[in-house]
Amino acid sequence: MSRTITTVKPGLQTCVQELPGREGFLEQGFPLSGPFDAWSFRQANILVGNDRDTAALECQFMGPTLTFDADMLIAITGGDMSPALDGAPFPMYTTVAVSAGQMLTMGFAKTGARAYLAVSGGIATEPVLGSRAVFHQAGVGGHALVAGQTLPVGGSEASALHVLPEDARPVLATDRVWEVEALCGPNDDWLDEATIEMFFSTDWKIQSKSSRTGIRLTGPDFGFSDKALNKSPDHGQDPSNIIDHGYPMGAVNLAGQTPIILVNDAPSTGGFINPFTIASAALWKLAQAKPHETLRFRRVNRDGAAALRAEIDAKTKPEILENA
Amino acid sequence: MLHEALRFYPGGDRAIEVELGDGMDFTINFIVHRLVAAVREAKIAGLVDLIPELASFQVNYDPDCISYEDLCHEIEALYAEMGRGVKGSLASRLITIPVLYFDEKTEACVEAYRKDYPEKTPDPELICELNGLPDRAALRRRHASTEYWVAALGFWPGLCSLLALNPNARIIAPKYNPPRTHTPKGAVGLGGALTCIYPDATPGGYQLIGHTPAPTYDGSQRLPDFTDSLALFRAGDRVRFKPVDLEEYSDIEARVAEGTFRHDIVDYQIFSVDRYLDWATAQEEASK
Repeated sequence: MSRTITTVKPGLQTCVQELPGREGFLEQGFPLSGPFDAWSFRQANILVGNDRDTAALECQFMGPTLTFDADMLIAITGGDMSPALDGAPFPMYTTVAVSAGQMLTMGFAKTGARAYLAVSGGIATEPVLGSRAVFHQAGVGGHALVAGQTLPVGGSEASALHVLPEDARPVLATDRVWEVEALCGPNDDWLDEATIEMFFSTDWKIQSKSSRTGIRLTGPDFGFSDKALNKSPDHGQDPSNIIDHGYPMGAVNLAGQTPIILVNDAPSTGGFINPFTIASAALWKLAQAKPHETLRFRRVNRDGAAALRAEIDAKTKPEILENA
Repeated sequence: MLHEALRFYPGGDRAIEVELGDGMDFTINFIVHRLVAAVREAKIAGLVDLIPELASFQVNYDPDCISYEDLCHEIEALYAEMGRGVKGSLASRLITIPVLYFDEKTEACVEAYRKDYPEKTPDPELICELNGLPDRAALRRRHASTEYWVAALGFWPGLCSLLALNPNARIIAPKYNPPRTHTPKGAVGLGGALTCIYPDATPGGYQLIGHTPAPTYDGSQRLPDFTDSLALFRAGDRVRFKPVDLEEYSDIEARVAEGTFRHDIVDYQIFSVDRYLDWATAQEEASK
């Protein structure tokens, strides 16, 4: 009996992801990829006895239907897609032992937008450029699952059943409003003072054309500083144009008047300014926010961002697990 | 213009933008690549990724391993040690890319855009107008008259930013506003002072002037030139565009389809930066 998973229905866009993503190839134009909500991803992995960065499945908006071709442990975290085994619902954030032949069904996300499915031993697809993370649009590391596709699963001795304590799980906004920590820079000096204040006091609406490439926002217009208005022509005509430069993960990229937050599958470089950048430990919120929901940005400095990182790091370690 | 000192701009809690200068030119870009190479060689603990660009580079780092301030100091020290001189030689491959200028695929793409934005001047005519060129034939001659420097890669796997090495062959072009939602794979585009070759069908903003049937990206590594890398270009390569007619274009297309196509890559030349800069200055003076 092979240790595999078979795709019955693929869901909306289910992809293999792995941490830290495809490091070392940004300079050739390959995005980092990797799980959009790394907090939930790591918790799914520790629940099945894996190293927390092991390859697992990211399910977007609507989860897949899968059959397990061998006995293994599974755990589901993140957005609630009503997971059920052979028709019987089961709790998230809990290790579940599945038997060969059982079928997992998942539906539309009732809370959040992305769910993570980890299996003991991890997904064992062939790494491409050092990573199993999938960049679906260019087919790097594979594509989103298709019906009939089988996925190899690594070996594992894990058998312990765990529960992740409630107070360590990410809290998904239920009022459709997300407070997201952000830092000024790298190009905040291209905006006028009033616009920087405006950015942190506005309710930004997430547009429907949002994905793992970018989260597009609707809100007021931006005003520019002298640096943006009186610059060398090499930068381009629009105030938001800059000589092509690197794009940090989580950058709030301003193309004309449309802010787009660049996330896991975003371009590595380009010719627009990035006045703000989301704190790395707050990126998971963008993964769980749905189109038409609201983002409010809270200004933090590097120390504030470090405190958030430390908090999430502590909550994604196996020591916090409780016995089921 | 090269700045007096490096300028550091934090990009969140895990990235730094390091700006060396304010312009799209060979000298600044060459110093960017030298400094990036020095930073890479220094093997600084906590340094995760480097993205050299035209006049700046991005450093991704692990802030739980090295602080923003310490990393900036390390990079400043390496820059001070390196000096700001532009000299020396480097191995630089010369890659010849066949192009069918003003081909059907890119013309159709331009026309599709003009259905939504009829006021947009067709790309070749717009470039001719802005650069004082009488017609398409003159644009083709100017574009194919120089070697190009691969200044950076990015935005999409394998997408290159090419700078004309002959100052007299510099062509400038505005970017599409709003951008195109689709560009044919292999399209040759101009934006700012740069040329690019679209490695895949992607959105885009460069003005289109032709098409190459020779792949610059091969995700499945099917063709022999892609056994070591998915992307054709590396920073520091040089590129020359060779105008081809429809007959040669179709022949290359057929060889790509059957998997036998080989790029024309000259891999034995040394590029002397000092001699290049002297030559470029002489070219500019001669044209005055």
